[in-house]
Amino acid sequence: MHKQTFVAGAMVLLSSASFAADSCGQVTIADMNWNSASLMANIDKYILEEGYGCEIELIPGDTMPTGASMIEKGEPDVAPEMWSNAMRDALQKGVDDKRLRFAGSSLSDGGEEGFWVPKYLVEMDSSLATIDGILKNPQLFKHPEDDSLGALYSCPAGWNCQISTQNLYVALGMEEAGFDIIDPGSSAGLSGSIARAYERGQGWLGYYWAPTAVLGKYEMVKVDFGSGIDEEHFTTCLTQEDCLDPRPSMWPPAPVKTMTTESFATREPAAYDYFTKRSFTNNKMNVLLAWMEFNQADGEIAAEYFLKNNEEMWTNWVSADVAAKIKASLN
Amino acid sequence: MSDTSWLSKFPQLERGDLIAIRKTLDGAYREFSRNYGDTIESLFDPLLTFLIWFEKLLIASPWWLTIGVILAIVYGASRSWKLCTGVLASLLAIGILGMWDDTMRTLSIITVCTLLSIGIGIPTGILMSRSNRAQAIVTPILDVMQTMPAFVYLIPVVMLLGIGKIPGVIAVIIYAVPPVIRLTNLGIRLVNKETLEAATAFGATAKQRLFGIQLPLAMPTIMAGINQTIMMALAMVVVASMIGVKGLGQPVLKSITNQYFTLGLFNGLAIVALAIIFDRVSQTYAKRTQKHLGGMNND
Repeated sequence: MHKQTFVAGAMVLLSSASFAADSCGQVTIADMNWNSASLMANIDKYILEEGYGCEIELIPGDTMPTGASMIEKGEPDVAPEMWSNAMRDALQKGVDDKRLRFAGSSLSDGGEEGFWVPKYLVEMDSSLATIDGILKNPQLFKHPEDDSLGALYSCPAGWNCQISTQNLYVALGMEEAGFDIIDPGSSAGLSGSIARAYERGQGWLGYYWAPTAVLGKYEMVKVDFGSGIDEEHFTTCLTQEDCLDPRPSMWPPAPVKTMTTESFATREPAAYDYFTKRSFTNNKMNVLLAWMEFNQADGEIAAEYFLKNNEEMWTNWVSADVAAKIKASLN
Repeated sequence: MSDTSWLSKFPQLERGDLIAIRKTLDGAYREFSRNYGDTIESLFDPLLTFLIWFEKLLIASPWWLTIGVILAIVYGASRSWKLCTGVLASLLAIGILGMWDDTMRTLSIITVCTLLSIGIGIPTGILMSRSNRAQAIVTPILDVMQTMPAFVYLIPVVMLLGIGKIPGVIAVIIYAVPPVIRLTNLGIRLVNKETLEAATAFGATAKQRLFGIQLPLAMPTIMAGINQTIMMALAMVVVASMIGVKGLGQPVLKSITNQYFTLGLFNGLAIVALAIIFDRVSQTYAKRTQKHLGGMNND
C-alpha cells in the first residue's frame, strides 16, 4: 500500500516535472487539405504555442505524401487527422519499426464510411435508404455515358476504399441489377459530382465518408445493406484485392488517429501527452464543419472560434496551468 | 482600429465583406449551374456520343487490326519504314506490358482533343494575325489559360457538366490550345512582306494570299505549335483522370498513391510513347509536304 502510494506520487512528480519544463522546441504539424484536419492542426498550433511555448510550423499535406514522409523522413512531426486505413500496412510497419506512434483518436467515434444517397430521394421513396430499394431503381442513378445503366460512384483511384467498394459492388449483386462503377479520379471529382446532382435534385449513389464538409452541407442518407457489420469478414476479405467470396457488410467505423513520429514523442513528452487526449466526437466535428462552411472560414479562424466557445472541451486536454495560459492569451 | 494602422498593415477588406463577396459569387455560380447545367450539358451530347463511339471502336477492334491501321496512317503520312518499325515496337511493348486498353482510351481522347485544338487554334491564330485588336484581346486570355491551375476550373466544370469525358476534353483543350494559336499568329506575322507585296502586285485576293502564301510559308512555325499542343494534351492526361477520364492517367494516379513506382513509370512511358508517335508522324508529314520550300525557311 505504502509502496504504491510512493510510486504513484513519484509518477505525479515526474510528469509534473516534465510539464513544468517549458523547453518545447520547434514542431512541425501537417496541415492536411481538408477542413476538419486543418481545423485540428490550427487548434494544435494555438494550444502548443500559447500553452506549451512550442514553435509551430504548419506544413501543407495530404494523407499519402504526409504519411510517406513521416515514415521515411520523420517530417512533419505530427499528422493531426490520419485515416489510417488508407495506408494501413505502411503505417503499421512504421509503428513496428519504431518510427511512428499513434497518439490517440482524433475522432473518437471513428470515421463513418458507406454508400450514400441524397436525402430528398429518401423523402420521395423511403425504400431508397436500403440497398434493395436502390437495386430495383437503377434508372434513378443516371450513368453519365450510358443511359441504360445506373451509376455507383466509387472511391477515388488508388484509395483503399476503392477495393472495398469494388468488392461490395460484387457482393451486393449490383452488376446484375444494372449498375456500373464509376471512378471519379479524385476526391474533388467525387464531391463535385455530389454537388452537381444535389444542385439539380438528381439521383446520386456512391461512396463517401463523414465527418466531412460535403456531408455537412449536402444532407445525405447512408444506405443500409441490411447486413450489419461483419468486421472480421470486412478486414480479411472486403478490403483485400483477392477477396474471392465477398459478402455484404457495412463499413466498420474507420480509425482516425493523431499520428506522431517517434522522435517527436520522445523529444516533447508534454506536447505528446496533449495529443493523446485531443479528440472530437463526430457530432461536434459536424457542427464545427458546418460553421466553417457557412462562414467560409479557414482553419485558423475556426480554431479561434472553437477555443473561445468550447472551453469545457479543450480544458480537459491540458493541465490547469496550461489552460490558464491559453485562456489568458484568448482574451 | 487606430487611424494609422493602414501604414503598417495593408488595408484589406473587412472579413465580413470578403465572405459576402465569396458567398455571393459561389451562390451565383450554383444558381447558374442549377438553371443552365442541363442545357449546356445537352449541347455537348453529340461530342460525348462521338467520344464514346470512338473509344469503343478502338477497344473493340482486334489489336492487330488497330496496329495495322495505325501503321498504315504512319506510313501514309511519313513514308518512312524506320518510323513504322519504331511505332510497331512501342505499340507491341505497350500491349505486352498489359496497357493496351488504357492506351486505346487515351489515344481516342487525345486524338479528339488534338483535332479540336487544331480546329479551334488555327482559325483563331489567323484572326489574331490579321487584326492587332484581336491579338490584344486574345493574348491575355491565352496567358490565363496557360497559367490558371487546372483544378480552379476543373471542379466548377464538373459541377456543370458532370464527371467524365466532356469536362476532361474541355480541361485538356484549355491547356493545350494556346501554343498552336500563338505560333500560327507568329508564323503568319513573320511571313516576308516583300513576298506579300509581290502577290498583291500580281492581283492576288486576300483569300489567295492567305491560303497560297501566308499559311504555306508559316507552316513550319504552325507545325511547331501543333507539336507543342500535342505534347501538352498528353501531359494533361493525368490531370484529366482526376475528374474521371479513363485511360493511362488512372493507373498513374493509382500507382502514385500506393507508391507502386514501376507501374507508374510504365504507364508514364506509355504516355510518352503516344506523344512521340503523334509528334514524329505529324512532323515528318509536314517536312515531307514542305520539301519544295527548302532553302526559303530556316530549318
